[in-house]
Amino acid sequence: MEELIAVSLGLFAGTVTGIVPGAGVTVAMVIATPMLMGFDVTQLLLFYMALASMVQFTGTIPAVFLGVPGETNSLPAVIEGTKFNRRMMSQLAVGVSAVGSVLGSVIAVALTFLLLSFLIGHVSVFFSNNTKFYLYIFVIVFCVLVYNRGNVLINITLCLTGYALSLPGESDISSNIRYTLNIDDLEFGVPLMPVLIGFLIVPTLYKIYNDHQRVKQFKGNDVAFKKVLVYFMRCLPSSIRGSVIGYLCGFMPGVNTILATNTSYSVEKRLNRNSPGRQLVASETANNSGQFASMLPLLLIGIPITGSEVILYSLLVDAGWSPFQFDNVANNADMIFREIVPWFVLANLVGLLVAWPFAKQILRMFTASKKYVIISLAIFMIVLNTYLGIQDYRTVLYTICLIVFGCVGLLIRKHEPVPLIFMFILGNDIEAVFLRQMLI
Amino acid sequence: MKKTIIMLLSVLLVSIAKAETKQQITIINNGKAGGSYHARTQMYRDGLVAAGYEVDYEDVGKISQAVKIFKETDKPTIMVYSNNQVYKQDLFHTAENFIMLEYQQPLYVCQTNESKSKTSGLTVAHGKGYDTKLLNKVLGDDIILVPYKNSSAMLKGILGGDVDMMVNNQGMSLKYMESELGTCEPSNLLPTMQATVIGTNIDIKQMREVIFEITMDIPFLEYHNSRQLNRPSNTWENELTTVKNYEKQWQN
Repeated sequence: MEELIAVSLGLFAGTVTGIVPGAGVTVAMVIATPMLMGFDVTQLLLFYMALASMVQFTGTIPAVFLGVPGETNSLPAVIEGTKFNRRMMSQLAVGVSAVGSVLGSVIAVALTFLLLSFLIGHVSVFFSNNTKFYLYIFVIVFCVLVYNRGNVLINITLCLTGYALSLPGESDISSNIRYTLNIDDLEFGVPLMPVLIGFLIVPTLYKIYNDHQRVKQFKGNDVAFKKVLVYFMRCLPSSIRGSVIGYLCGFMPGVNTILATNTSYSVEKRLNRNSPGRQLVASETANNSGQFASMLPLLLIGIPITGSEVILYSLLVDAGWSPFQFDNVANNADMIFREIVPWFVLANLVGLLVAWPFAKQILRMFTASKKYVIISLAIFMIVLNTYLGIQDYRTVLYTICLIVFGCVGLLIRKHEPVPLIFMFILGNDIEAVFLRQMLI
Repeated sequence: MKKTIIMLLSVLLVSIAKAETKQQITIINNGKAGGSYHARTQMYRDGLVAAGYEVDYEDVGKISQAVKIFKETDKPTIMVYSNNQVYKQDLFHTAENFIMLEYQQPLYVCQTNESKSKTSGLTVAHGKGYDTKLLNKVLGDDIILVPYKNSSAMLKGILGGDVDMMVNNQGMSLKYMESELGTCEPSNLLPTMQATVIGTNIDIKQMREVIFEITMDIPFLEYHNSRQLNRPSNTWENELTTVKNYEKQWQN
């Protein structure tokens, strides 16, 4: 029953998150944090899995109907979906995307099942500081080269800012308190929530508000289920190709689903230049396949590779999860197939239902009350920050940080803040790993 | 009918009177879920509730912040604690705050089978709060000390082949021995960790009796037995003397 509640809440959060343009899994995780604090490890994993899967389904809806990306990886859906929309066939586009997404998820599960023994057999590779060292170098290089359209200077500045924010308080390698600027409350470090709200949610809400001015109408005719299936069967090879490409790209830290979608889209564009349907299906299939793969490093060995997973990771540790899972890989693998996969399949079926037959109804509901959604979210964020500040006995610091980071977040709203957040959350661990690498 | 009403009223009055006499106590949770501080706090909370206390549970989750609250509070408050924290947190065991010594365990020195033939340049994993001078004194000057965040991270480090040796607590050392990749020995030269319960704004002796009874209950006995924790039960005076002596070992 508790599992069902967690999955249902995740599905609901995923539906809303996918439909709200610009909002992503990370934002949803932040918003849901107070509720998630009461969850146990399994519930947290199920909530996240349902949320992340659902977003891949519903993110397609505003992309196709409105031309607004629901998720950062919905760009191919925007480009190709618009072509369907012009021909009043947006319902078909959403339908084949949803069916493709389910297939992508199934293929991802099958690939995991096939590769699992290989992963478990070679798990000692992941035990060492050495592995983490090179993984972190890889993540940092990706942060510097990929985000903000590859603007290295901006990305380095964001990385350094994030790292600087991670410095105050106690480090992972020494019990000495540092860089507190004589502020007692900084002994426990810069609080996470104001950083997330300030740099991530404030700019997101601003963008959603501005998008609100543009969103006026959407169009499309109802399409029969059979027609969708027939159309999808024509795109089946593209869908399978997209699943495999998406799965492999899903392991890439920091960029998994974005890389999965865009790589698959690029490949399909090369192979089937004049088929928007195949390009759309391939990219949307890759999306879901990549999403499942991206969860595996965290589920198997405890290494988060996306911003939202980092938030999940800290919640998991608070709920009693061992920060490293290297010695527990066989059990974790068993847990994935026994406890996660069945719910993952269910989440995909619900995703199919929501993203396809109910797409128009859901979108209509949201566009009618979008203004209130934005206002409610803004108020909720302020209340959440204050509540967590009180819980942490640092209300003043939380408030000041929220104001400062919110203002800076607005100023840099045109830039993706992921490098900053990644370095802020993992800065201490990266520092420790690098130091140990020099010592060993 | 009259009799029934009188009986019901009597029951109600007795309940109210009983509720009014319930003693209030705050218990601060200073550890994260999954850790020993957290587990022990939960058991004490449940025990206090079962003993008829009205428990106010402060879920702080960080030892340094918990100590700050413990020092500033004017309410009857208890908290689990250990002697390895006293210098770092600047909160020592005294006659005013010491309630009970719950268990003690030595630190272990573990070494991988592969490194047994190595004579110099051994890499040694240690917790970030450990006294590095003492480690050099015990293990020699030609070792390379490698700091880790906590005991769990150290275990992964040695399992992953990062280091040749580790200085770790009893639980993680026993786990390492189970892997059969190396051996561990308890050290007489390194400090002994003692887990305690401390309190403020309360009658220490009276609370000791309650706390002692809670630790004699099944959950605590199972907790101690499963982790092979040694419980040196004694008088309050003797326990305090022992704790005060042992905590000096943790001075860096």
